[in-house]
Amino acid sequence: MYWIIEKGHYIDSLESLFATTVLNEQPGIRRALVGMATGPAKLILKDVGLVNEELLACSDADYVIVAEADSQEAFEAAVDEMRRVMKQNNAVEAEESYATVADAVAAHPKANLCSIAVPGEYALEEVKKALNAGLHCCVFSNNVPLEDERQMKELAREKGLLCMGPDCGVANINGAALVLSSINARGPFGIVGASGTGIQHVAAILHEAGSGVSQTIGTGGNDLKEPVGGLMMLCGIDALEADPETEYIILISRKPAESVLQKVLDRISRCKKPRVVLFMGCERARIEATGAIWAENLDDCGQKALGLIGKSAEFETEAQLDAMAAEAVKGMAPEQKYVRGAFSGGTYMDEAVHAMEAVIGPIYANNPNASPLQLPDLNKSMENTCIDYGEEEFTQGRPHPAIDAGVRKPAILREAADPEVAVILLDFILTPPGHPDPAGYVLDDVRRAQKMARQRGGRIAFVASVLGTTADFQNIDDQRRKLMETGVLVCSTNYKAAQLAAKIIRLKKEIG
Amino acid sequence: MDCSKILELFQSELVVVNVGPKSFANALIRQGYQAVQVDWTPVAGGDKEAQALIELLGM
Repeated sequence: MYWIIEKGHYIDSLESLFATTVLNEQPGIRRALVGMATGPAKLILKDVGLVNEELLACSDADYVIVAEADSQEAFEAAVDEMRRVMKQNNAVEAEESYATVADAVAAHPKANLCSIAVPGEYALEEVKKALNAGLHCCVFSNNVPLEDERQMKELAREKGLLCMGPDCGVANINGAALVLSSINARGPFGIVGASGTGIQHVAAILHEAGSGVSQTIGTGGNDLKEPVGGLMMLCGIDALEADPETEYIILISRKPAESVLQKVLDRISRCKKPRVVLFMGCERARIEATGAIWAENLDDCGQKALGLIGKSAEFETEAQLDAMAAEAVKGMAPEQKYVRGAFSGGTYMDEAVHAMEAVIGPIYANNPNASPLQLPDLNKSMENTCIDYGEEEFTQGRPHPAIDAGVRKPAILREAADPEVAVILLDFILTPPGHPDPAGYVLDDVRRAQKMARQRGGRIAFVASVLGTTADFQNIDDQRRKLMETGVLVCSTNYKAAQLAAKIIRLKKEIG
Repeated sequence: MDCSKILELFQSELVVVNVGPKSFANALIRQGYQAVQVDWTPVAGGDKEAQALIELLGM
């Protein structure tokens, strides 16, 4: 084992990941890890057996490069190459950089929004600095204590500024895709949502139908919980109602806490613009009593919004899905009977589990919100299983799988190695900072999985959906095409993909 | 709530101060927006006691 410790050298988590990937690809390196020696990072080092007393004694502020390598020379050559690639990668467009928000604002007095993605425990301090400098905030940081969240949102309200997040994955402001949003066409719909994937999904449906969004405001998943009180949801509704570019308002969340729900419903009742409301799990009558249009799920939300402008989205019909399922089961071996879902988005896993369990019964999952059946060992799927690779167990010390496609990659071959697997269900999420080609990244594994199944005398059905738009750098059409050319059954949305997967499993059971 | 500052944002050219991964700033620049990078590091090198002291001293 070889290691380098650099005290006081800071790199962010995305750079760490990139460096780790590059180092692992070098000849003579068996496994390697690069990054700040934080608590979670040390746990990972322990897990993979790359640890010693000196590394354990490092603090959060120490940068470490650790590897198991063939020789000292191989390690040094690999680190040199990693540094060269990193330098090249960092020689990027953002040439100017500053030590503090205050310095940045002094040099750029027109600055108006601060995007904050620092570890959760530091988020409140940075948000306060930005709000006090007069900047609206978009806070990507997660694991922010609810009390901190409340404080930052109260300060924002006092100052009349936006505080999107914490844990805000998606926000489109003035046409810009912030954090992990898709690039969307602009149009008459303003969205406020507590689910990043939810906002991105509905906005993508609007884009695909030739419409678009004025602004999308991500509140973060905790905004509508009791301690935060829906502060940003209420602020977002006020802002979009006042915005002349926004003609229609769309609200997306899981069912808010009861006390918050009542407050929000009262506000929706007073809203003068047409509005579509998707509060997953909330009684239809309560939504409709506010004068809003009720939506059942994400697809329905997009569809009902388009209905307001006389347009509609085209999703697969039941008959089309049945025909696809009938084709998919051909050539499967008798023992193939289970579906395995490997998701990069938690919202999508929940949606898929609910869509499928209605048809094929209980599904194991790694999130109690999605299913009562908890998977005991995350590395060993059982019967019908869905795994959200965005859950903490997988992202400790690594970025979210929407950025780091490598988090989920091993799932494909692992699931395909099980001869009882009939369907592998995948989601792909496009965003400017994300992987440049998330579909292309897994195609080799898909082909290998298909070959493994053929050699066993069977056939695996890959079913997928892609979330994104034609304006995204990865272009949703290109991503879908690549998957289809490799034999993946691509559906228009995650819900439809889950329905197809369930139909295949049911049909397979019927025909044996 | 008074939304005048938010409406002002909606009608202005977006200039983002990015505190976090450079890839977020680069993603905005690639889309044609202005972004400036703050090279954030944990205050006092991540040492909680020192950080509390710095806060107390208003540094």
